[in-house]
Amino acid sequence: MSDLLLNTSDNREPLQASFSDAANPLGLDGIEFIEYATRQPQALGQVLEMMGFRPVARHRSREVLLYRQGELNIVVNAHTADTQGAGHGSDLPAISAMALRVRDARAAFRYVIERGAWSVPTHAEVMELNIPAIHGAGGSRIYFVDRYKDFSIYDVDFVPIPTVDPRPPATAGIHFFGVVQYIGPERTNDWIAFYSELFGTEVIPDEQRFGIMPKGTLLRTPALDTSQRFMLQLVEPPLHVHDAQEKLQRIGLGVPDVLAAVQALRALGVEFVETAATHTEQRGAISKTYLGSVVFELVHSQRGGA
Amino acid sequence: MRPTPAAISEAIAGFGMDTITLAGPLEAKLAAMKAAGFSQVMLKANDINGHPGGIDAAVAAVKASGLRGTGFQVLRDFEGLSGHLHQYKVDIAKAMLEMCAALGCKVLLACSSTSTHASTDLDHLARDLRKLAMLALPLGIRIAYEGLSWGRTINEFTTAWDVVCRADCPNLGLGIDSFHIFAAKTSLDEIDYLDPSKIFLVQLSDFMWQETRTFEERITTARTFRVFPGEGVHSEQLADLVLRLDRLGYAGDYSFEVFNDDYQQMPLPMVAERGQRAALWLAEDVLRRSVPLPNQMRLKPMG
Repeated sequence: MSDLLLNTSDNREPLQASFSDAANPLGLDGIEFIEYATRQPQALGQVLEMMGFRPVARHRSREVLLYRQGELNIVVNAHTADTQGAGHGSDLPAISAMALRVRDARAAFRYVIERGAWSVPTHAEVMELNIPAIHGAGGSRIYFVDRYKDFSIYDVDFVPIPTVDPRPPATAGIHFFGVVQYIGPERTNDWIAFYSELFGTEVIPDEQRFGIMPKGTLLRTPALDTSQRFMLQLVEPPLHVHDAQEKLQRIGLGVPDVLAAVQALRALGVEFVETAATHTEQRGAISKTYLGSVVFELVHSQRGGA
Repeated sequence: MRPTPAAISEAIAGFGMDTITLAGPLEAKLAAMKAAGFSQVMLKANDINGHPGGIDAAVAAVKASGLRGTGFQVLRDFEGLSGHLHQYKVDIAKAMLEMCAALGCKVLLACSSTSTHASTDLDHLARDLRKLAMLALPLGIRIAYEGLSWGRTINEFTTAWDVVCRADCPNLGLGIDSFHIFAAKTSLDEIDYLDPSKIFLVQLSDFMWQETRTFEERITTARTFRVFPGEGVHSEQLADLVLRLDRLGYAGDYSFEVFNDDYQQMPLPMVAERGQRAALWLAEDVLRRSVPLPNQMRLKPMG
């Protein structure tokens, strides 16, 4: 199903989303960046560039590079301590953090700690931002960022790469759609409670599905600006498969025209899965797995846009 | 004909012992349980912190034993506090959860508060337990909340269940302990009102008095003179309890929480064998679990 079907025009008045501070206790306002941790920053960078991202800035004190296309930021963290923690000793790149935009980072951090989140010690260097973080799924972290309007966190902690366009346009209208999280067996209700308690997410009815990978449970985050809402997809292992590992598995990218986007990305060198069961169609597409763990899903979505 | 060790092991697969029943070092306790046919063990924080080789060595010993951790105990007096007391307990809870996760245990036992500093407001208790469950959630740990029979506000499983329902968190459920039910003389009819999927742990033990009227008497008995199921004076009720849980649909683990000063000075194999006897009584005579008995049927004699 695509989100075209959700925006039906046969109501007398369009249905208003129920927004209030109670429905969005953190003042969430979308994603600031997704972080990968890897010991192969060059190889991952190459994959990201195929997907249309461009390196735009370097961290002042760490082995960290910022990639960007359109409004979407991806941080590649090759700092040794971070890669060991996030990958649990594995050599494969892993999604190690998501940074959420919130109204007030300090208030948001207090709110979730009060409700049972684990704070993560941060290691800001001199003159760097102290970005609060909590433990998320697997070894991943969730950051809270409130500097995203007048100036950005990257203005402080990163140095632009010379001669590079700091705002490369999005390829084929790519924007952030959501994150797929693998969870342990019978853990769906646990994670629904976790995200709803701490972030105010709502469960999407099973009839509504996006893209070509419909398994599991979909949660939607609230956002001050409705176009900034995004999805969390919780996927349990199949029955009789013993795999209790939990992790952020892949990111979903929204595109207004999946077929055109696949064509554009193929031209850049991206390969997509084309089997009888899983293949590109107007609803979505999924890339092959790069570097043993890096997958991108394309989902038909009008919001955001480029 | 005496069943083979493998048959005994299979018959008592749903039952485990608590390390607190046995004397001696952790490795000896695990070996004695294993020798008696048990496949799971309820661990206590002292087991790993008191280990001469430190926490890592204790975790390695548990993993090497091949015994599965039934759960990890025990977080006390967590709920109902405020201000710096609450903060202090959150730190303690986090450390307990980290140990629990290191041992690969999926259940942390939390006992109802006995503290006079704790609130008696059920909603406050529920709020704190929900927070505890949230802390446990990313680690994949479930919280089993148990009403101590000398708890200040919550001293029966019925009120513990009320608080668990108020807290309404998927990884927060009940820990049932037969000792506290018999000590507080809670009606077993109340078991029928529980949701079996929200019972995360059942601990079984008995004792030898008919009455424990005061909290002090309950505490002393609970900590020094519990006995294995089948050895005390409440055998009939204990069998009734287990049958009711079974009828309700409880399919989780049973663990023997037998604090007993005598057993603390007996040889480990002797105590573990009494545990085995209790497990066999429950599995075969009470629950009549129809398990296939491997190696019982032999078409030809062993060569």
